[in-house]
Amino acid sequence: MASILLKNVVKSFGTFVGVQDMNLDVVDEEFLVLLGPSGCGKTTTMRMIAGLEHPTEGEIRIGDALMNDIDARDRDVAMVFQGYALYPNMSIYENIRFPLRMRQVPKAKHDDLIRRAAEMVELGPFLDRKPGALSGGQRQRAALARAIVRQPQVFLMDEPLSNLDAKLRASMRVQIKHMQRELKVTTVYVTHDQIEAMTLADRIVIMNKGVIQQIGTPDDIYSNPANTFVAGFIGSPPMNLIAGTAQSGTFSSAGVRVPCPANLSGNITLGIRPEDCQIGGDNLQGQVYGVEPTGDITYLTVRTANKNIEIKAGREFRAPIDSAISVGFDTSRLYFFGEDGSRVGVN
Amino acid sequence: MAHSTQTLEKGAAKAAPAAAVYSIRRPRSATAKKMFPYLLVGPAVLYLLAITLYPGLFAMYQSLFVVKFVNWSWAGLGNYTRIVQDREFWAALANTAIIGGLSLCLQTIIAMTVAFYCYRDPFVRGWRIVFLMPMLFMPSAVAFIWKLAFNDGRVISDLLMAIGLVSNNVDWLSSVWLARLTLIVADVWQWTPFLFIIFVGALQGQDEEIEEAARLDGASWGDIFWNISLPMMRPIIVVAVTLRGIDITTMFTNVYIMTQGTPGGATETMSYFIYRQGFRMFNFGYASAASVLMLLITIVIAQTIVKRAFKSGKS
Ligand SMILES: Nc1ncnc2c1ncn2[C@@H]1O[C@H](COP(=O)(O)OP(=O)(O)O)[C@@H](O)[C@H]1O
Ligand SMILES: [Mg+2]
Repeated sequence: MASILLKNVVKSFGTFVGVQDMNLDVVDEEFLVLLGPSGCGKTTTMRMIAGLEHPTEGEIRIGDALMNDIDARDRDVAMVFQGYALYPNMSIYENIRFPLRMRQVPKAKHDDLIRRAAEMVELGPFLDRKPGALSGGQRQRAALARAIVRQPQVFLMDEPLSNLDAKLRASMRVQIKHMQRELKVTTVYVTHDQIEAMTLADRIVIMNKGVIQQIGTPDDIYSNPANTFVAGFIGSPPMNLIAGTAQSGTFSSAGVRVPCPANLSGNITLGIRPEDCQIGGDNLQGQVYGVEPTGDITYLTVRTANKNIEIKAGREFRAPIDSAISVGFDTSRLYFFGEDGSRVGVN
Repeated sequence: MAHSTQTLEKGAAKAAPAAAVYSIRRPRSATAKKMFPYLLVGPAVLYLLAITLYPGLFAMYQSLFVVKFVNWSWAGLGNYTRIVQDREFWAALANTAIIGGLSLCLQTIIAMTVAFYCYRDPFVRGWRIVFLMPMLFMPSAVAFIWKLAFNDGRVISDLLMAIGLVSNNVDWLSSVWLARLTLIVADVWQWTPFLFIIFVGALQGQDEEIEEAARLDGASWGDIFWNISLPMMRPIIVVAVTLRGIDITTMFTNVYIMTQGTPGGATETMSYFIYRQGFRMFNFGYASAASVLMLLITIVIAQTIVKRAFKSGKS
């Protein structure tokens, strides 16, 4: 149980900078999710916390202790790898026992601890098997059990669910969250899946190209995206971003006209979430480009002169393709971004 | 419809000349096609049969005779009954086991230790082929180098004297164990790289993520070696050591050049015993019988080791 602190951490590989000047404070017992597209430096960040990679610059602290020169095996962190990294020559029981043996936990306690960990991830019946004889989901749970069995100070999980099918992923998600609450271990979780991030996180860190874009609670990230990258990354479908100009309290673009704060002018990008649009209104004029009913909701794509706009319409909405359509925006939920992509026009 | 047929035809017409250009195959009959692979491997197979199977069978046949050059007289199993009472045969067998066993243990341990210490080293990754150098020397040349170093040139003795380990020249052929040691050193020098390369290859194929997981679980490098790497490499180790072992049991060149079985037969290996019987004393039938026995012993031991190693590896 400990906090984690990253201070001005940089990691370069030769001339390529994988992580740039990162500052991050993970609170004790927090579930923090690193979210970002592939290659943005999530794994690198996590490996630096684990001690598998040395930061080129900056400080890493766990608890209050400086970790930069502490070997991975002495950091008391447990990591769940994307490929599970189970020991193929050992049974699941021996796999879970390995950290206990290596850390000189008294032998008498082993069996009890192993069975409790296995219980927690519902792995009881498979303890005698070798990893090769388990399904992906079972291997995943074995890797989790191995991580929790010794109550480390910190859990690190690198895309632990990405090799599972959608249904299993959903149930494992709940299980992981429940487990973390029960064990109260500070957790850093890496994913590129925003649903995983939104459902699991106390706080989300959104990264792009080695740079933190925003840190905040899932609600915060969703309702107050700091820039166009975050806005375009979160939500499914993500926020519509429409380039246009603002002048004396009005934002306009081809087929789009909305009120905007009077102090905005020049090139501005408007952001509007698909769920904050409704059919009928006077903010957007365009043609129906596509209608996709999914049962509980209908996705509508409207074409304007320079962009397709995604809208979530009611479940019964239908319209012929190429018919004219007008759309209204919830004007209390408009976002404006300046030319550098960062949010503007907020009081 | 008509349109699509037309394009198809056009396509075919285009493809045909291309095929004519790029295909190096001429039409062949089905039988010729089937025979072709055999034709390709045929010469190699014939060659191998001629240098291994034929002499093998010939030796088995010859072992049933007492042979004095062109005079063959039927002996039945007489050669074999004489051999099992021959103390020199048993001594040679024991020498082979001692020299070969020690040499094999030593090279396995050295190769494994060095491999484990350096398999993630970028230099070893890129240049592992240079470690094969000693294997590329002609065996007789290696034997002469060591003969020179130990016995004739006294290089080793001088070195030992220089560091103060001994005070006089060592006569390596004067003592049973020193003589055996020279053979072991020569073999270890030439063949440790073979095992090293194999072990390094196996270790480099090991999943790096698993090593990292073990590090985070609190394992030292030693723990990783004993708990993870060694069990995973087991089948490879068994095969490599068996191959090496078979090779060592037929150790001849070094004995022939360096010690010739001295002192008092303490370094006479099976191969040298067979050579001496056959080409010094011209007991060809007797030598053949010894070879056949040697072959049987080798097969039985190798088979048992491999079978057992793989059976327990599977469960
Ligand atoms: N050992 C390495 N050498 C060179 N480049 C690396 C190394 N590890 C990672 N990178 C680069 O750093 C960037 C971030 O990688 P990573 O942290 O694995 O991304 P993510 O986990 O977010 O997908 C990638 O562009 C990757 O190619
Ligand atoms: Mg990654």
